[in-house]
Amino acid sequence: MAIKVMIVDDSPFSRTLIADALREGGYEVVGEADSLEMALEVYNEQKPDVVTMDIAMPENDGFEVSRALLRNDPETKIILSSSMKDEETEIEAKRIGISGYVQKPIEAEALFDIIKKVLSPDLLFKDLMHEGLDIFKEALAQNITRMAKTPVDFAGNMDIEAPYISNGVTAVIGIIGQYSGTMLLDLSSETAEKLAGTILHREAKNTDEVLAMVSELANIIGGVACSMLNKREKAYKFRVSPPSMFHGNSAELVSPMVKIQKSLANTEFGEIFLGVGFKKGSTLWM
Amino acid sequence: MDVNMLNPVLLSFKEILPQIGFQNVEKQKVSLLTSTFSYQGVILNIAMIGVIKGVILIGMEMEDAKKFASKMMMGMEVKEFDALAQSAISEMGNMVCANTCTQFTKIDVQGLDISPPTLMMSDGISKVTLPVPQIIAVDFLCDDIPVNIYVGFS
Repeated sequence: MAIKVMIVDDSPFSRTLIADALREGGYEVVGEADSLEMALEVYNEQKPDVVTMDIAMPENDGFEVSRALLRNDPETKIILSSSMKDEETEIEAKRIGISGYVQKPIEAEALFDIIKKVLSPDLLFKDLMHEGLDIFKEALAQNITRMAKTPVDFAGNMDIEAPYISNGVTAVIGIIGQYSGTMLLDLSSETAEKLAGTILHREAKNTDEVLAMVSELANIIGGVACSMLNKREKAYKFRVSPPSMFHGNSAELVSPMVKIQKSLANTEFGEIFLGVGFKKGSTLWM
Repeated sequence: MDVNMLNPVLLSFKEILPQIGFQNVEKQKVSLLTSTFSYQGVILNIAMIGVIKGVILIGMEMEDAKKFASKMMMGMEVKEFDALAQSAISEMGNMVCANTCTQFTKIDVQGLDISPPTLMMSDGISKVTLPVPQIIAVDFLCDDIPVNIYVGFS
């Protein structure tokens, strides 16, 4: 069965050129649109496999139409077509979740190539989902063992379905790179105090000192795990943010845009919750 | 923290909110906090990474967060701050922070990217500590809904 493509472009001339090239290449052009409303209508009627999207359009630009299509169906595969090729367009496209880019004037072979890539499964992301949490667990175990001289073992991995209720001290670290993500480290105040006491070789002076220690530990775990992943696969290019610390009261915690995988580390100080999640949004920029 | 780094965040907030259904977006007060502040209700955490490293947090009281989500969903009633409402607030934060990166490029700060949002919801008074000496807090009133933005860049 032919791959179904929908073309969004305000210029009838451009639409004809793209449609002709696609038909010659064996693709089925299932619809054309020149506005946001029409794009949504045609998309929902035809359910194309791929959408080609012009950036410059009079009413809503290609980014706005892409956002609307992705809100309508997060699985929409959009290939942006533009004569401009600059860093900001690339970053904006990535942020929105556009799947690929092709430069105008469109060369048929380049377009076919990018359609093929956009529709093939994202193996890199699959690998990350498969091994990501284990790498973070390794980084956690390694660093707690090194700093507190105590072994760590883990309960099995699981996905968080319901919102997670924090135990009192939560570190949240943001991750950017080929995929963006979040690392969560959560423990009770008692566990944090015991851990701080052992690492400092004395009782922590106050809550600030305990928090600073958990923050530093989270920072090290996130940083070490991301460099381990980057060593395995250069394309990840992961970088981490400094941790935000949430504390003082139990809170419900959700990450609506990523599926968080979690594990519980058992230590002699108590349980430490580790959550890691990544989201796609990669752009094939050719 | 250089106060000039705040402007892209404010510009973005004022630009994005009208796009998601808010008519009056008024800046009320700007204050300088130390590295720890308290919140009650919901708070959204989004990290920004690149030449500038840090975090943007957007906080609201629970009832206000429900009103805010309702407004984003064309006035649909929001009785509980459920998955749909959580997703709406997260989407708003994501749009504001992504657009902040775009605003930064206009003052020649290129290549910033953001993490996915994490949302914390607390019944009691909870605290946030950021690894920066100072945090700038900006209180907004968005169609009479109080929204607090906290910016901690290093």
